[in-house]
Amino acid sequence: MAAGYEVRAGAGATGPRYRAEALEAFHEGFRAAGIDFAVFLPDSMLDGVEQLMLARGEIPCFQCSREDEGVAMAMGAFLTGKRPVALMEGSGIGLSGLVLARGIVQRTPTLIVAGHSSTLGERYDYHGATRLVAEPVLRALEIPYHVLFDVSQIRTVVVQAQHTVEGQRIPVAILVPPFVIREA
Amino acid sequence: MNRIEVLAILAERRRGVPLVIGPGLANYPIATLADDPLTLYNMDMPYVTPMALGIALGWPERRVVAVEGDGSLLAGPGVLATVGRYQPLNLIILVFDNGAYLTTGSGRATTATRHGTDIEALGRASGIARACTVEQIAGARAALERAFEEPGPWLLVAKVDTTDREQAPRSPSLPVAVYEAGLRFRRAALEQRSPA
Repeated sequence: MAAGYEVRAGAGATGPRYRAEALEAFHEGFRAAGIDFAVFLPDSMLDGVEQLMLARGEIPCFQCSREDEGVAMAMGAFLTGKRPVALMEGSGIGLSGLVLARGIVQRTPTLIVAGHSSTLGERYDYHGATRLVAEPVLRALEIPYHVLFDVSQIRTVVVQAQHTVEGQRIPVAILVPPFVIREA
Repeated sequence: MNRIEVLAILAERRRGVPLVIGPGLANYPIATLADDPLTLYNMDMPYVTPMALGIALGWPERRVVAVEGDGSLLAGPGVLATVGRYQPLNLIILVFDNGAYLTTGSGRATTATRHGTDIEALGRASGIARACTVEQIAGARAALERAFEEPGPWLLVAKVDTTDREQAPRSPSLPVAVYEAGLRFRRAALEQRSPA
């Protein structure tokens, strides 16, 4: 449990349980990276992170209607001097190809955290389309990304990814396989 | 009325207001009359209002304008629900509704507004109470002046004709390329947010 805050994916008792240390690591990583604007579309992998951020209230969080809309909102916030992060399911990267490209050309980057990966831990057939779009779109746009493997990496990866976002003025993505953030 | 006439009013009222303009002919009157570093020209649709919303949320002290087309907004109308949800007081969405994809090809392809879609009603149903439709230039002026004076979010739908297509420049150019625009905008925003 993260500081007395239990997070489940659903309202019922059957929702998946998140690894508290992973949620804390993301929150701490965002704070350490200076993230001060978050936008998200809820998904089953990152809902715990998003709900924790909302509960803590330290980082302004906004929920969008579609992931590409959220990426555009994050880029708009960057233009005002904010350090944004956009959280989404990996499928949202598939929806965001054009706006990510615009951000690259226009020099308005954002940090991206997305659930799922092409290779690790995808046991459900209905994630097939999701896993087919996320990493290929990132590769096509030459957006650097890192697939997390262990909770202990989270804070460092978030902080270093944000260094790249700011230093190179390019989007950077962190992909989160299920086993990193959910209990087995 | 046409877009150029309405944009001339916007240009008078702009005074350093961040502006995100959608693709097409609306860019050139603003570039000519009221260019400012806080401008993003030719934003890809449907990201005009989403990017303006991000600016508005990130810079709540400053009024922000999204200059949309009907085609552009209808490519991503879900953003109206997000605007309705967060009610940014400083956001103005100005939609030019000419019922056509006027910039493209022959300009004859119609948008859904020509067939019954009502953008003002979409906005109201999304929770944007300050939504109105104007059809005459005097009404457009009054609505814009109100939107610049009173809290929003505002959704102003300007029903315009297509006569500005003939007035479009043959070899249009803008004061800044896309790859410079983000750097120019952010630099100006940081300077204005933290004066020396």
